[in-house]
Amino acid sequence: MKSVLIVDDAMFIRLSLKMMLEKNGFNVIGEAENGAVAVKKYQELKPDIVTMDITMPEVDGVEALRQIRAMDGNAKVVMVSAMGQEVMIRNAIMAGAKNFIVKPFTEESVLKVLCKL
Amino acid sequence: MSEDGISKEPMLEMYLFEGNQLVEQLEEIIIKCEKDKQFEMGAINEIFRIMHTIKGSSAMMMFNQIGSVAHSMEDLFFFIRANENIQVDFAGLSDLVLSGIDFIKDEMNKIAQGNAADGLGDDLIAEINIMLIQMKKSYEDQNAIPAVISNSPPNETTTKYYISSYQPPSEGKEDNTKYYVQVFFEEDCQMENIRAYMVVNNLQDIVNEIYYIPADVIDNGESADIIRENGFLICFSTQVSYAEVESTLNQTAFLRKMEINQVNEYPAEITGLHRRREIVLEDTIAVDEPPHPEFAEIGKDRDAGTGNNRQQNIISVSVAKLDMLMDIVGEIVISEAMVTKNSDLAGLQLESFSKAARQLRKLTDELQDIVMSIRMVPVSMVFHKMNRIVRDMSKKLNKEVDLEIIGETTEVDKNIIDHLSDPLMHLIRNAMDHGLESKEERVRTGKPAKGKITLEAKNAGGDVLIIVRDDGRGLSRDKILNKARERGLVHKPEHELTDKEVFSYILLAGFSTNEQVTEFSGRGVGMDVVTKNIEKIGGSITIGSLFGKGTEIFVKIPLTLAIIDGIEVSVGLSRYTIPTISIRESFRIDEQDVISDEDGNEMIMIRGQCYPVLRMHRMFAIKNSVTRISDGIMVMIESDEKTACLFVDKLVGEQQVVVKALPRYLKKVQGIAGCTILGDGGISLILDAHGILARQLA
Repeated sequence: MKSVLIVDDAMFIRLSLKMMLEKNGFNVIGEAENGAVAVKKYQELKPDIVTMDITMPEVDGVEALRQIRAMDGNAKVVMVSAMGQEVMIRNAIMAGAKNFIVKPFTEESVLKVLCKL
Repeated sequence: MSEDGISKEPMLEMYLFEGNQLVEQLEEIIIKCEKDKQFEMGAINEIFRIMHTIKGSSAMMMFNQIGSVAHSMEDLFFFIRANENIQVDFAGLSDLVLSGIDFIKDEMNKIAQGNAADGLGDDLIAEINIMLIQMKKSYEDQNAIPAVISNSPPNETTTKYYISSYQPPSEGKEDNTKYYVQVFFEEDCQMENIRAYMVVNNLQDIVNEIYYIPADVIDNGESADIIRENGFLICFSTQVSYAEVESTLNQTAFLRKMEINQVNEYPAEITGLHRRREIVLEDTIAVDEPPHPEFAEIGKDRDAGTGNNRQQNIISVSVAKLDMLMDIVGEIVISEAMVTKNSDLAGLQLESFSKAARQLRKLTDELQDIVMSIRMVPVSMVFHKMNRIVRDMSKKLNKEVDLEIIGETTEVDKNIIDHLSDPLMHLIRNAMDHGLESKEERVRTGKPAKGKITLEAKNAGGDVLIIVRDDGRGLSRDKILNKARERGLVHKPEHELTDKEVFSYILLAGFSTNEQVTEFSGRGVGMDVVTKNIEKIGGSITIGSLFGKGTEIFVKIPLTLAIIDGIEVSVGLSRYTIPTISIRESFRIDEQDVISDEDGNEMIMIRGQCYPVLRMHRMFAIKNSVTRISDGIMVMIESDEKTACLFVDKLVGEQQVVVKALPRYLKKVQGIAGCTILGDGGISLILDAHGILARQLA
């Protein structure tokens, strides 16, 4: 079972993802509400997959991604973003993001992305 | 989302919970900005982020109107954020954001009540867009730059990333295989251009050279349409095996169709690419990339305008679950009493049982305390809501007002706090509308032009005291008395009435001394509703005022509704529980100590003070009770400075009881606060001292 760390400042999105993932055999082992917490939790929990929101307070998703990738070059991070954030996603991909999920997402679209990892 | 088989219920709850929280946070930010007369960068970031979050969540829940309003607001603040030195009409902007907040709030309320979110945000969105257009225009005028391009620092370009343009085939790489790949993505997968870019990015490590069409996938959002129509064309040469190429390409999500061809020469559209590509390159570098503030502002996010840094060690639990927990703990407390005080045990010497029972008692007490504390929430949320009301009203009434908030960390039970917001809102409105004078009048009477309203909360024994204080004109005793006389509300000689009693007339139904009906506080409906609402949660209101100096309204509410300390008393075969807080003392007296007046009202003198005697068996028409004063016992109860002695048969014991509401089919009886189940399974009615005194001493 793959372990997942969900990073998003919106509780609602975290809950949505968690429900979708747990229903499909992923093990959600942690949640973080900003990039700084995400980096800390990544170190602690060593999840197989990270879903990473982009717009967050304190440390944003792209910066957190960079820090995580600096710690672990094999980290599998999937960005979660809204339409209109293309440039940020591009930056994230350059920084090593494995893929991205577009909000609003459906269970199907989330699985399609995560199963490719 | 329901087709995904995910239950919407908890999602909806979370959506509303978080949405409301965000909206309130937003409101606070706006009001603070207004006070400071500027929108700080931190605040703008925060507003942008909140709108972004609301947009995302609303889209997930398919509340499209809310989503669209939040989206246009997000766009607006995106622009402001990107152009720090832009001229903004702050008053207009905060008005606009506040109407946006109101719209979202209204819609969320509708949803919470199970109605459709049917409001249309079109007008609002149009308004927001107009503001954005105006801003852009004034910005352009100001900077005389002909396009929507910005003043971003040129270092942004360093993050740009280009894949080499076509170069003539290099020599010495004969073992390279050339590929021509065409990729089609699934419909509705969105952002095809970025997905195409990902394909290229994945190939990076295994190819020697790579070309693709459309070439401008990163910079040109419209390339997504082209890819959707014609697919994405990639040509590359590599030394790795076909299998590896295939597996690399297969990492791509949302692949609908992919053709991988090994070719000898790249097709003409690719070889012809390099010329065009170079031109494109120059163009893009010449023009600065629109700033992406998400980037530029990373550092500034840190000092965002609110103090609401959420802590990670906090989880949110639905109130329904807490209610359930509370109920179960209540049952446990009762069961514990049922076991340890079981009548089967009467007269037995059970040393170790008693020891175990004591331990159990200790633990259930602790459990109870913890459950209670979980339910406690600070009043700050409710208090800060008042900022908005003061803001709106001071604008409309043209009164300058400072709202001071004291003791916002004071905690009360969640159930109580939900009933607090409306009455407080009303009191604040009254203070704004009737309490505070107009600017001119204030200056004339030597007061500062700016009025002041204080909202204070503090603990007072088992209660919480909330005080709404204004430095306005105060209440006029004569005016109120006149009005009360007109309405036939005065039942006592007027010179005997204390100021407090006179002021309390305004709490009665149909009373108002304000001749003008304003938009905010009407005529007479209001204070009595406030009183009723407060009484419903077991609270009371008293008023103090100095004419010309101001008014103070004291709202006393219980910390919790759920569990109280009580003394159990018996009258006839019935049992009653009197909240310990309302009991001052209890004592036995003799028949001859009781004095009767000519109407048959009984009284006793204690330490030189005269107290009315209320016989419980008469009040509740109970048969077979003790009627001889010397055989029963007196319990002195007090509430709001009223005191009386209750005559009951005997005191049974002291215990904590779990308050249960009376069943709905029972009419509300004044003086009964609820009921509780006793250890032996019997039912005891809980007396409400305030109600009893009001009922008997009216």
